[in-house]
Amino acid sequence: MLTRFRVEGEGERSSMAENDDLGIERTASIQNPTKPSSSIGARVRATHDDDEDEVRVSLRPVLPHSSSDLIHQEAARALSVMDSFHQPWLTGVELLDDANRNKHVLPTGLEGIDVLLGGGLREGQLIEIAGPSSSGKTQVCLHSASCIADKGSVMFLDTCNSFSPNRIACMVNQFSGPLFKEAKERRLERIMSSILCQPIYDIFELLDTLHQLESTLKHTVKTGGYKICLLIIDSISSLIAPILGGKSPQGRLLMVSAGIVLKKLAHEFNLAVLVTNHMVGGEGGIIKPALGESWKNIPHVRLVVSRDQQSNVFTATVLKHTMRASGRTAKFVIHN
Amino acid sequence: MAIIKLLRTAWDMLSEEQMQQHITTGCEDLDHILRGGIHCGEVTEVGGVPGIGKTQLGIQLAVNVQIPVEYGGHGGQAVYIDTEGSFMVERAHQIAEGCINGILDNFTDHDRKILACQEWMQPNSFLSNIFYFRICSYTEQIAVTNYLEKFLKEHKDVKIVVIDSVTFHFRQDFDDLACRTRILSGMSLKLMKLAKTNNLAVVLLNQVTTKYTEGSFHLTLALGDSWSHSCTNRIILYWNANERYAYIDKSPSLPSASAPYSVTSKGIRNSTSHCKRVRMM
Repeated sequence: MLTRFRVEGEGERSSMAENDDLGIERTASIQNPTKPSSSIGARVRATHDDDEDEVRVSLRPVLPHSSSDLIHQEAARALSVMDSFHQPWLTGVELLDDANRNKHVLPTGLEGIDVLLGGGLREGQLIEIAGPSSSGKTQVCLHSASCIADKGSVMFLDTCNSFSPNRIACMVNQFSGPLFKEAKERRLERIMSSILCQPIYDIFELLDTLHQLESTLKHTVKTGGYKICLLIIDSISSLIAPILGGKSPQGRLLMVSAGIVLKKLAHEFNLAVLVTNHMVGGEGGIIKPALGESWKNIPHVRLVVSRDQQSNVFTATVLKHTMRASGRTAKFVIHN
Repeated sequence: MAIIKLLRTAWDMLSEEQMQQHITTGCEDLDHILRGGIHCGEVTEVGGVPGIGKTQLGIQLAVNVQIPVEYGGHGGQAVYIDTEGSFMVERAHQIAEGCINGILDNFTDHDRKILACQEWMQPNSFLSNIFYFRICSYTEQIAVTNYLEKFLKEHKDVKIVVIDSVTFHFRQDFDDLACRTRILSGMSLKLMKLAKTNNLAVVLLNQVTTKYTEGSFHLTLALGDSWSHSCTNRIILYWNANERYAYIDKSPSLPSASAPYSVTSKGIRNSTSHCKRVRMM
């Protein structure tokens, strides 16, 4: 949202007033840097025009009755109004604090992958799993969904009709432990009701859904509703492949904007985003993840999975990680 | 969360998935590994070397989808998109006859005579429920995929779309391979959407070639990695010592398994030598 502050009046440096109450006058300070000893108090009137997203501030000079404390207070309040329109600058300490308190690690339930990722999927990060066909990507997504839905909501955006509720039920029952039948049934219902699935067949539908999700989450934060902690897109490459390449750069533009929106959602609302990608042939016959060079830098963490010879054992390799060395591999097993 | 349309919980989808009816293939062993048959609402790719029976399976499915609901079928119609010209009407007639006789076998002589006279139990009426499109170029293929959306709205009984074979027109004469990848991925997304919104099965038949990697041969589908992610399930048909086998290569919910089958005059049926093997044990 672009907000313009228009100041009518004079002053070398002025601060703005709050605009929550339309047209209420507040005092603010205006200081003349060339003459620091003198300061002119001013009455500030702020109006907010919804159509134009403009805050008009008019200044009228007033006798300097207000004390310097009041002036500082109003200036601080005015600055906070400006900050609410865009992200404020944060210090490293604040970021670390946010990371420790809000950005939890969500275990996928697959031991090998959790070890590679240092615990599991980290909230606030975009994790990509690439692999050839039938290498376990969807199974990892389904497994993570069933494991993490215990702690929070999971949203699954499905582009290849491979979301299988039966498989999820199977996985949930696998690690339910010794429970009576009714308790198991209730647990299954509770967990599966926290997994939300939507089919998406278009990059524009995806961007639309992400924007709707953003406004829903903003609303939920205020009202304190249930919290989504994992967003899965299986697979994002099938949405991007039809538009990528060719003479126009629009495909790449849409891909990068989708990546940016996903990372913004992840950071702002403390959710982990897991996407899958397929492989294409590269130079020398070695396969590499699809979506090209522009996509390579977008995910925070990239894993490549492969299946060992038609068995239930899979291998995962780290291609890129923000905190750990790449190149490490681990094996994991997915039971039927 | 009801603000976002089409969003449903996994719990709601679970009961729906369990009630989902599958399309029988005619071969009990194959139906068994597929947990009932070909799934509706999903895109299934069937690949195999020439002569293994892909077109036979396609025709069999187009006939089996018409089995009336009273006898365990869908009572639906089929769309058959033929890109190679391998659909033979006489063979479809034969398979329809075989299917009808299979249903009639479950009844006593008396009931059978009455049933056989019913109009909808004639092979010709089975043929009339198969909508056939003959495609001669890749542009026609893209056009028919786009047209299907409107067609399926008008023909709500269609429960299966068979494309035989989906990659034939894309394998030759395509200079710009990147363009080909874009067109194919776009087409596969449209087919996925059709399958989901109309709750029908989409079956894509594809050629298979052998690839030599890491010291061994293994089967891989034509058009390779760029096409491989565009189906929900994949079944590979292959030869094993004079017998035909089907192998589930990719599926979100089914474990990998193989089953033998045979192609008879009545259509796809259980493998005959299977019985011999059981006896020897």
